[in-house]
Amino acid sequence: MNSPLESAILFQLGPVAITEAIVTTWAIMTVLATAAVLLTRQLELRPTRRQAALELVVSMLDTQIAETSGADPAPYRGFIGTLFLFILMANWSSLVPGVEPPTAHLETDAALAALVFLSIVWFGVRRGGVGGYLRTFAAPNPVMIPLNMMQSLTRVFSMFVRLFGNVMSGVFVIGIVASLAGLLVPVPLMALDLLTGLVQAYIFAVLAMVFISSTIQDRRAGSPDADPSPSPTQKDT
Amino acid sequence: MTIDVWGLGLQAINVLILVWLLSRLFWRPVAAAIARRQDTANAVIATAEATQARADAALAEAMQARAGIASERSATLDDARTEAEARARAILTAARGEADAMMKAATTAMERDAEIARKANAARASELSLKIAARLLERMNGPAAQSAFLSQLITAIEQMPAADRAALADGANGLEVVTPGNTDADHEKIEKAIQTALGGTPKLRFVTDPGLIAGIELRSPHFVLHNSWQADLAQIRKAVTDGQ
Repeated sequence: MNSPLESAILFQLGPVAITEAIVTTWAIMTVLATAAVLLTRQLELRPTRRQAALELVVSMLDTQIAETSGADPAPYRGFIGTLFLFILMANWSSLVPGVEPPTAHLETDAALAALVFLSIVWFGVRRGGVGGYLRTFAAPNPVMIPLNMMQSLTRVFSMFVRLFGNVMSGVFVIGIVASLAGLLVPVPLMALDLLTGLVQAYIFAVLAMVFISSTIQDRRAGSPDADPSPSPTQKDT
Repeated sequence: MTIDVWGLGLQAINVLILVWLLSRLFWRPVAAAIARRQDTANAVIATAEATQARADAALAEAMQARAGIASERSATLDDARTEAEARARAILTAARGEADAMMKAATTAMERDAEIARKANAARASELSLKIAARLLERMNGPAAQSAFLSQLITAIEQMPAADRAALADGANGLEVVTPGNTDADHEKIEKAIQTALGGTPKLRFVTDPGLIAGIELRSPHFVLHNSWQADLAQIRKAVTDGQ
């Protein structure tokens, strides 16, 4: 069994080593894009069951975003929803024989965490400008600036580590059990791994939204036209 | 444990591309479909509310028109009732006046008929009484009655002016002496008495008229001296007739 901390390099594109995780990511991207094209081909005013299911997913996502941030979900829907779908598909790709989930490798999880960090900056700057975003680090007072800056890094780092640890450990355990006990014994663990993959995708998406909305809320609380709605509770596991 | 920075960057780009793809291909179309349906539902609801408002307005207008029709009907009925009552009163008044006029005319006619009947009865009664009197007088006719009538005749002649007596006595055509049927002896007596009363010898011609009942009358072409019960009855009849 290969070490989960190492990615198998399939081929090299100049300085970039194309690993198995990257190829799997491309496959997931292709599947998701193709499915999106196929599923949204004929959206009618009177929805079919398929369209109703799609709209239910979008509505649930919007509701989740609205409840978490208290803001219009439209600007965040694409990023948060895609994060959830990609991580879910990546986690569940372990069901395909011979495929290791991309999220079981450091680069993918680190890339996702980096994107969340950048999105926090992006949405924060877009909401209140550069100055407004930077002022959120001085809340509630300038003494907290070092701690807030450290928090902004550590919380995305914790996301990255959490996702990587959970997925990698599942793959690692299933690999060990499969090498020791044969074919059918790992099945319950794989089922548990499905649940873990769903929960981790949900947690990652929700935490991303919480971090983004906390930046928005900080900006909103500091502005004269502050929204009186309560700040969302940060969830961390 | 090492992190492949190139791999990290490539994966970040991959996820960003996926975010862009799914935003274009999945999230926006589905959200647009939801928004389109919500807009359509809102438009349908707005149309339904507008239609409901129009229906309510039409209903209110219909109710108002219905109330107007009812009030107009009531007013028309009142007018018709008032007009009918006025017309009935006019007809009743006219009928009453006509009835009064008819009753008055009938009363007048009845009074006239009664008067005519009364006069007719009175006339018949007088005629009957005159007939009865004539019958009775016929029974009383005799020499005494004739003698009395002769005396009355002589008295009447004597009371006439002398010129009239002379004119009668000298009349060329003579005088008719009308009696109910006396004998010749009576004629002589009568002739003598008349000549004596007139003071001459007029030419006398005796004429019998049973209609006189009793009495003696002198007649010439221009003079009649009535002296009979017939004349008396005629005078009574005239008096009765004039009195009626």
